[in-house]
Amino acid sequence: MEKEKEFNPNESLALIESMINKAQNRFNENGHLYLLWGWTVLVCSLTHFIFLKLHVLKEPGMVWMITWLAVLYQAIFLSKKKKKERVRTYTDEIGGYVWIAFVTMMFIMIFLMSKNNSWDKTYPMFLVLYGMPTFLSGVLLRFKPLRIGGIACWLLAIASAFVSNDNQLLLLALAVISAWITPGYLLRSKYKLQTV
Amino acid sequence: MFKELDPILHSQLRLAVMSLLISVKEADFTFIKEKTNSTAGNLSVQVQKLKDVGYMEVTKQFKDNYPLTTCKITPKGIAAFESYVKALQEYLQVGK
Repeated sequence: MEKEKEFNPNESLALIESMINKAQNRFNENGHLYLLWGWTVLVCSLTHFIFLKLHVLKEPGMVWMITWLAVLYQAIFLSKKKKKERVRTYTDEIGGYVWIAFVTMMFIMIFLMSKNNSWDKTYPMFLVLYGMPTFLSGVLLRFKPLRIGGIACWLLAIASAFVSNDNQLLLLALAVISAWITPGYLLRSKYKLQTV
Repeated sequence: MFKELDPILHSQLRLAVMSLLISVKEADFTFIKEKTNSTAGNLSVQVQKLKDVGYMEVTKQFKDNYPLTTCKITPKGIAAFESYVKALQEYLQVGK
């Protein structure tokens, strides 16, 4: 594109189309954070479940403190990613806000539950909330496994009504396998294929 | 011919840059250079032209000691792009 040359309307439209495609065919999601949170929640929920069954700890729920490590890692990861970022699309931005909304809702919900000391509906509420950003990210990225994952969370939330509190931890594990871990690996392989 | 077409946009590289920026929120200079397959010299001249007419906003800053130029389309640029596309469509319809 060195020289300025005359070009006709057809060529103009073709150029516009090809540039828009170049910008939109970028697939910027490598699934890293889905895998981070998928594995963190999976390990926490299964360990919590095992501790409950074996009566290992007085407060088996303390295992969830591991999530703070994931939060720390995520903060470092995101700041590094931002430094490397060369383009920011509207999809990236909306996607970011969807997750910010999710985290805000999680914190408010945890605050309300701790204030009223009513933890019995924690897991069903988590499942309902997990579904929202997962489903919407699937829509934004046009990535079906995430949409299916989001729906799986909601179905598991309904199923939790028929399951004991302890066993709801297993539903949580199932939810993160279907909503974050599986799509996370699929996103990773899609991203790798694109960058080859 | 093409008298009604915006001369600022009716240039291959400038149109390529504007088409790229219309679909993203912002992009850095290297990204645009790569996608438009242009040279840094030519691209900076064209970016400057787009900036001068107010179609584009250019921010220069330093990131880890490296200069970083970020380009973003302005509302004026979006309007100009839209009317350019409209004019193109009219031309094509007349030609049918």
